[in-house]
Amino acid sequence: MQIFINTYGTYLHVMDDMFEIKVREDKKQPFKVNHIAAHKVTSFIVSKGAALTTDAIALALKHNIDIVIVENNGHPMGRFWHSKLGSTTKIRKQQLVASLNETGLIWVKSWLAKKLENQADFLNGLKKHRKLQHAYLDEKCAAILEFRKKILETDGPDVSSVAESFRGWEGSAGRHYFEALSTCIPNTYQFKGRSFRPAQDEFNALLNYAYGILYSRIERALMLAGLDPFVGFMHRDDYNSKSLVYDFIEPYRIYGERFVFKMFTSKKMNKSYFDNFTGGVSLNQDGKAFFVPEYLEYLDNDRIKYKGRLQTRLNATQLEAHRFANSLIEKE
Amino acid sequence: MITWVLYDIKNNSARSYVSKACKHAGLYRVQYSCFLGTLNANEKDSLELQINKVINEETDKVYLFRMNKEQLKECSMLGQAFDEKLVTDEVKALFF
Repeated sequence: MQIFINTYGTYLHVMDDMFEIKVREDKKQPFKVNHIAAHKVTSFIVSKGAALTTDAIALALKHNIDIVIVENNGHPMGRFWHSKLGSTTKIRKQQLVASLNETGLIWVKSWLAKKLENQADFLNGLKKHRKLQHAYLDEKCAAILEFRKKILETDGPDVSSVAESFRGWEGSAGRHYFEALSTCIPNTYQFKGRSFRPAQDEFNALLNYAYGILYSRIERALMLAGLDPFVGFMHRDDYNSKSLVYDFIEPYRIYGERFVFKMFTSKKMNKSYFDNFTGGVSLNQDGKAFFVPEYLEYLDNDRIKYKGRLQTRLNATQLEAHRFANSLIEKE
Repeated sequence: MITWVLYDIKNNSARSYVSKACKHAGLYRVQYSCFLGTLNANEKDSLELQINKVINEETDKVYLFRMNKEQLKECSMLGQAFDEKLVTDEVKALFF
């Protein structure tokens, strides 16, 4: 189970080889103490304002539990991880090689194509209950699939030679896609395109939060597979940019999008789950407590078919990360 | 499988040892001398050995009951009952 620590002043330490979490609502009340056995925890998601002891970190490392420090919008800032690689260094060497030759390009094309395919599939599915918007959604699907075709047809010696065009096509497809999604959700939540840091509307605020959780899980999956999250193929090698996470997440963004969309269309979200501040909107404490358990249920418990077997969505991404890592070293 | 551990133990230190061992195994306290949670066969055996080591067979009583989810659903729980999802390991996220 994942432990989310959001309350200011929460204290996490070790007692009798178990995690002890002390928390209180306000200063007048006594601390509530909770004990959790180490093997029940898979990760700690900690936002600012909590204190943890080195013993707690050590116990977490010993049990392969990652401690992720997140920003208010759910984006991971950093994590504690044991000072070992998830697997052999060979994978990382090959990953660097692949980032400079056509192997990287093949993977980038497959990820982007899958992403656009997912977007088109989703819009296609929306037609079922929206008879009046058939023509509009068809048009958007066609536009997205056109960009997909362009990406698949482009060849080059390596990723950097075509990255600029890819980014353009991907962005244009995204604009069509989100425009279509906006017209399909209830009027009060319609939005104008994507916005981050800060989000301009409720839909973007929730989607950013959902992506944030996904980033952290994808990064973990990549590390477990022995890959270096910082060595990406298509996203720029900026300082401290987890390029591979942003590359690899593309086919899985749809999980967040579908779920967030469903939360709005099924009228489960309401305005009280969001705080408005100058220049933006963010998901508040109540909103997080409502949204996260349902979202994790969808990612961690709900099963989909992957390679002929029923798997949870996150398990399927983990298997895919291993498959990617193995394909890199097979070609030696 | 879902495991209930119920005990009556006279000696204070033995009793607190058993309660710690239960928590350690990942069980949740549902009453003062009653723990509940999900354990696999190995975890159950290991807990049993630990408890057996400290109790006094002349005076103490400890029961370990096993049941599956269907059987748990058939139980009646009145008043301040425990969180059924928590003890069956269905809770994926806890907030503090």
